Amino acid sequence: MTAIWQGFLKAIELIVSLNHEVLEITVRTLAISISSTVIAGLICLPLGSLIHFNNFRGKRTVINLIQTFYSVPTVAVGLIVFLLFSRSGPLGFFELLFTPQVMVIGQVILISPIMLGLVIAALKGVDRAAYETAIATGASEFQATTTVIREARYSIYSAMIMGFGRAISEVGLALMVGGNIRGYTRVMTTAISLETSKGDIVLSIALGIILISIALIINFSLSRLQQRY
Amino acid sequence: MKRKILKLFSTIIAVMVLLSLLIGCKPATPTTSVPQYPVHSPETRFKIATTTSLYDTGLWYYLEPMFEKYADVEMDIIYAGTGIALEYGKRGDVDAVVVHDPVAETQFIADGYGINQRYFAYNFFLIAGPPADPAGIKGLTATEAFKKIYEAGMSNPDTVKFISRGDNSGTHSKEKLIWSKAGYNYADIEKSGKWYVEAGQGMGPTLMQANQQQAYVLADISTFLAYSRNNNLTIVSLVEQDPIFLNVYDAIAVNPDTVKVQHLDIANKFINWLISPEIQNVIGTYGKAEYGRSLFFPLSDGSCNIEGCPSPDKYSTQVP
Amino acid sequence: MVLVETSGLRHEYNGRPVLIDVHLKINSGEVFALIGPTGAGKTTLLRLLDLLDTPTSGSIYFAGAEVTRSHHQRTEIRRRMSFVQQRPIVFSLSVYDNVACGLKWRKQEREEVHRKVNDALELVNLAQYRERNAKNLSGGETQRVAIARALVTEPELLFLDEPTANLDPVSTAKVEEVLAHVIRERKATIVMATHNMSQGQRIADRIGVLMGGKILQIGSPNDIFCLPTNTEVAEFVGVENILRGTIIDKDDNLVTIQVNSNTLQAISDYDIGEAVYALIRPEDITFTLAKDRTSARNVFKGRITKISLVGPLVRIEVDCGFPLLGVITKRSAEELDLKVGGRIRASSKATAVHVIKRWP
Repeated sequence: MTAIWQGFLKAIELIVSLNHEVLEITVRTLAISISSTVIAGLICLPLGSLIHFNNFRGKRTVINLIQTFYSVPTVAVGLIVFLLFSRSGPLGFFELLFTPQVMVIGQVILISPIMLGLVIAALKGVDRAAYETAIATGASEFQATTTVIREARYSIYSAMIMGFGRAISEVGLALMVGGNIRGYTRVMTTAISLETSKGDIVLSIALGIILISIALIINFSLSRLQQRY
Repeated sequence: MKRKILKLFSTIIAVMVLLSLLIGCKPATPTTSVPQYPVHSPETRFKIATTTSLYDTGLWYYLEPMFEKYADVEMDIIYAGTGIALEYGKRGDVDAVVVHDPVAETQFIADGYGINQRYFAYNFFLIAGPPADPAGIKGLTATEAFKKIYEAGMSNPDTVKFISRGDNSGTHSKEKLIWSKAGYNYADIEKSGKWYVEAGQGMGPTLMQANQQQAYVLADISTFLAYSRNNNLTIVSLVEQDPIFLNVYDAIAVNPDTVKVQHLDIANKFINWLISPEIQNVIGTYGKAEYGRSLFFPLSDGSCNIEGCPSPDKYSTQVP
Repeated sequence: MVLVETSGLRHEYNGRPVLIDVHLKINSGEVFALIGPTGAGKTTLLRLLDLLDTPTSGSIYFAGAEVTRSHHQRTEIRRRMSFVQQRPIVFSLSVYDNVACGLKWRKQEREEVHRKVNDALELVNLAQYRERNAKNLSGGETQRVAIARALVTEPELLFLDEPTANLDPVSTAKVEEVLAHVIRERKATIVMATHNMSQGQRIADRIGVLMGGKILQIGSPNDIFCLPTNTEVAEFVGVENILRGTIIDKDDNLVTIQVNSNTLQAISDYDIGEAVYALIRPEDITFTLAKDRTSARNVFKGRITKISLVGPLVRIEVDCGFPLLGVITKRSAEELDLKVGGRIRASSKATAVHVIKRWP
């Protein structure tokens, strides 16, 4: 018990003293996960709008398919991305394996289903009459679409935050395609899993505290946004 | 007004993030506050996959910055058991592999994936286990010890356990060799009972698990020493002296003729660097201060002279 | 000048016909009320005129030119019109931004927008709510925001779909005040759908009666309410005395109509032998006791079958060989001391009887 407590104290020390390694890993984790969230958002918002505002055959099937992939195992995505970007894979010439960039790509793939699904649900939650009202007030179709998106903005923010949460807390993909290279692709989750299995508890606890704090901030923001209704 | 500021703010963040991706490095904090990790031209990244036992002893933490400075490249070290390391090599995801599995390596080179193999260090394995030694293996030879562990494990699977690497690593291969020399069919061992546990992890984590479960484990002496000291292991070394425990490390460059790799020149440089007198000396003295004895033995001084040691041309001649 | 015209307009919804063969002309500058029972198709017609939907068949002409299916053209024309829905939607923005959005979408200058929005808010009396979140307003306030939003773009044509149907009397009065002001200023042509007939009567220049998807009559308020051209319209506008009869005599334009065993006289151009309906508004029936004299040509004796109160008025149903319904003030009723079953004389002037053709 004392060993854990000692470890905990040392971890706080690491955080407070802005230990270089802790800082570096944290910044990298945030950079990668924020990038994935932004990119996925830039893809999923227009795509979600496209799906929502158009009726086409098989729309229901598409939406069901998206929801099926909400909780696809991260190692499954990791394996696919690894095989794709390995030098001997079809996208190998990009030489992206074991880089932060491929981790972003992988995370974008990972969180897109949930972001897409939630964006569509958010848009669905806006009264159909809002679109109509905009059109009747003289909006073009594009302007009316952006109006509906604006009406759904709080739900859409929630969708983004959900995506970010999934991106920052996954391990499997980061490990498989990033390689957990010290100083280059090591993120909080992979570092914690490595250090814990090697017995270096102090660094793990420090990173764990930060990770949980981030998760708490995420959840707090989410509930504040939902209260806005 | 508030909305405009928010919009502006988020646009700036987004632009920053996208730019940082284009540049290819992390925004904000540079990696260079500690002198050991200077960032050179980030375009040249030299990737190696290394066996876990070398990694877990911290030897790479020591050597990495030295080589980066020497060759002016960014070195990425990927932690992988020999099996996975060779797989990365075959796929061209790394430029060189550093492993210690003679059988697998020979195959790797024979299939044309590897070239310029040079051995650069050696140490020995040992069998560690609970101080109480329920199987009574202390002081026996390797094969005798394994026999006893098997018998004890089969009759008392709850008190006697053996943790295997279970990951096709060099250590795992050595373990399989000992089983077969002791007269067992490895396939039988694997499914013989719950006394035999496959960890599926690197050397360090496997030792931690063995410590947790107070089980027997085959480990290389360096990792064992390092972990004993740093993590207060309670398992102790029980069987050490046996020629079969010889463990030789080598580095192999991935063959650009067979696999799509580009940094053969750096790989060769790396291999030559490892067998250079200066670095051999570094390897030879690594750990002496902390552990009272060095964790690795350099090959260049010719001190390796038992069966299984490589011939001098394999450790002293530079790669062209 | 005709601003909007429809020709043979027909619209179906899920295979069910909602509008049938609608021919309509709206003149520039007039206030046109579309009245009819709920479900008659008023909203559908307004939506088609505002180019929100395309009709199943038929054409619409705006300022003389036919409206095509061209998306671009339709958007251009739609921007010259405004629509206030029955239950208007406001966006999750401030009142100011809600009213301003139409102008912003038309890419107008910031200063212009600012001025116009403030003027519009003044007009509907919501200037003090400018920064408030529009979702937090009452029903009447929301309606006024919608009107401001509709007016701020200076439309040539303004559609109002039952603008006060869901409001309490106080809010209704406020909204009607705004509408009255807009009408006074003659800023736009207005087409208003309502089932509140007195509202239509008060405000409109012309009225169109839409029932069952068909336009049954178009005319001035007087035409509609006093001179309905068929029984459906008559019933809807409250002409409750619809008497079946035949013309048996004619002297110039004074005709005598046989209704059951009674006769009554009216003014009409129809000939002898014509099958007709004689329509008399209840307000045009006067009641006298047996001995009083009256100048009305048509006097019928009968018994009172029912007396009921409708607000400040009294409805009296009399059986004179045919049922007759009259409406008088409470005071008059008291003076007459009416009782159910009592004898009474119901009379009406010949000029108050409106005769329409009857198809047997």
